[in-house]
Amino acid sequence: MFHFRGVQLLGGPQSGFVLAQPFFLCFSRTSSVRVLQPKNLCSTCKYSCRYIHFGTSQRKIQVLDRVGVTPYSQRSVISYNKDHELLPHHPWNKAVTSRSISVAAAQNLFWEKDPKGGYGHKKKHSQKELIRDGLKELRTELIKWKDEVREKFEDDPIMVRPGDMDKIWILNSEESLEQWVVTSDKDHNEGFSSASLTLSPTGHGLFSGRINTQVPKDGRVKRAGYCNIRTIRPRKSFKRETYLDWSLYTHLELRVRGDGRSYIINISTAGYFDIMWNDIYTYALYTRGGPHWQVTRIPFSKFFLNSKGRVQDKQVSIPRDHVVSVGISAGDRINAPFRLEVDYIGVYWDPSHLETFAYEMYKVPKFTAGH
Amino acid sequence: MPKGKMIPRNVFQVEFMHYPKHQQCAIDCLDQMELNGVMPDSESEEILMNTFGMYSHPVRKHRRMLYWMPKFKHASPWRLPESVPNNAFELAKLAVTRMCTVDPSSVISLFETKDVEDAIEDTWIVSGQSPTQQELLQNHPPEEPIKVEGPFRIFLRDQCVGYFILRAEAKPQPPPVKREYIDDVGSIKLWFTGDLEPDDMALIKPTSVHEQEDGIILAICATGTSGRDSLLSWIRLLVNTNPNLANVPVLFTQASPVGDVMTTGQHDETTSVKTVP
Repeated sequence: MFHFRGVQLLGGPQSGFVLAQPFFLCFSRTSSVRVLQPKNLCSTCKYSCRYIHFGTSQRKIQVLDRVGVTPYSQRSVISYNKDHELLPHHPWNKAVTSRSISVAAAQNLFWEKDPKGGYGHKKKHSQKELIRDGLKELRTELIKWKDEVREKFEDDPIMVRPGDMDKIWILNSEESLEQWVVTSDKDHNEGFSSASLTLSPTGHGLFSGRINTQVPKDGRVKRAGYCNIRTIRPRKSFKRETYLDWSLYTHLELRVRGDGRSYIINISTAGYFDIMWNDIYTYALYTRGGPHWQVTRIPFSKFFLNSKGRVQDKQVSIPRDHVVSVGISAGDRINAPFRLEVDYIGVYWDPSHLETFAYEMYKVPKFTAGH
Repeated sequence: MPKGKMIPRNVFQVEFMHYPKHQQCAIDCLDQMELNGVMPDSESEEILMNTFGMYSHPVRKHRRMLYWMPKFKHASPWRLPESVPNNAFELAKLAVTRMCTVDPSSVISLFETKDVEDAIEDTWIVSGQSPTQQELLQNHPPEEPIKVEGPFRIFLRDQCVGYFILRAEAKPQPPPVKREYIDDVGSIKLWFTGDLEPDDMALIKPTSVHEQEDGIILAICATGTSGRDSLLSWIRLLVNTNPNLANVPVLFTQASPVGDVMTTGQHDETTSVKTVP
């Protein structure tokens, strides 16, 4: 944020925000230089200004509330203070060498460049490889497509009756565990927590590991310690991305056995446009602990919108016909091993649940609430 | 913090985060408050408004905290005090109470190993058992052994308690009663789905919440030392309320399907890395 003078911002994936700045504003210009007081230079106006201000593009970013911050850790820029004296006739030398301590979150200026926010690995495949792999899959995809066409013409739509609970993900075999992806902050060297998803001795999915709140000393990360599991996105034949439609249901039901810690349930409803790529609806999963299983039913109206770990100001209720994936995160900042056994995750219809959204909205001064 | 100096005077100053470092410092302060669960109040709002103005980021964050923090303060179905006691006995009581909320008729008993003769250790025992579990234990066949398993971990905010369970092997559900009469209306197929009416489940005794597919949980306890001898004392004390327990062989096992058994090495692991708030 307070990154100064267009010095290389984060080396990380989101360094693309020193872009063409449409605004060139300086608050005041003085030709006289006060040598006693160290001054910061502005890259845009190249004058020493009375007020301490920085590259205007970064400042503009502050206003946007949709901050590109990874969950549970903020990327920060830490640079070192150096004394400098201002030489009026060589402003640029000093501008480049002196930096100041700043704590910033990585933010995107105008648009999200990458659906994975810079965390994906870009593997280069040759055309030949791609064609070869594609042809291998052709047979299974054709069968899938045939099934879809048949379903479209022959099958009736599903009927959900009051009190129906349909299990969407049942974790009882290795095959079912392949639908889940396990991540933690260690994956991109942003922490030291480890996690794994295995089959427990009783035959259910076991999400266990260790949360480690130690922050790696790379100057970027401010807080650490999270692990999550997430389902893979549903796809139709020929790998077409599709959505889960839960508009007929009102609650999310999970049968879990935890260790007393609180976990977080994230329902991703990633949209087509880049602002919606990181739309996640969240709520907490409180576990009782102990040897007994618990069935937790959370109404969809309780889930609130957040994006990249930041709770958004303008809230809406979850679009139930647009669900992409469900994830469970552990990140309660307790430096200890965690253990969550999951039997199934399903959806439930309760017709007496009439609440559409649990969070009231307030009128705020103009331009203060985020998008 | 100085009043009035850092309040923006025009649209552009508002837009470009007037005094960014100062605002960021205030935001970091509020961040720390949020992480520690401290709610801001009207006085702090006044300070921030006078310093940064109405449209600044610290004031916006302040308002967000005032909105979201109360929503989650009492969101957990199992209430815990804001700062959980450091005393192991109090923690154990809280933990066993929490675990026994699954059956509201559970009774939490506090014992001392001193009351048992031939007890080597001198410690407290917190035990939880419900009348349903007592009945299950009463009807347990004397040949089948039951196991004492543990210690498993339960977390209460940031404190960890080790607890033990008394578990019997799972029994399969008894089959439903078959229909006897041909004229029974239930044998007409349902018009809509073409299925037969499901077998009459109303005549079987419903299974309690303690009878799970991985075992029947008969009692839970936490002891001061978590040692073998204290568990032996616990069993002896349980015999007072469950006379059948005296006839059943009790095994002490290391591994368990129910959870991850804590080993002595793991007790130290939790304190080796400092938790950064």
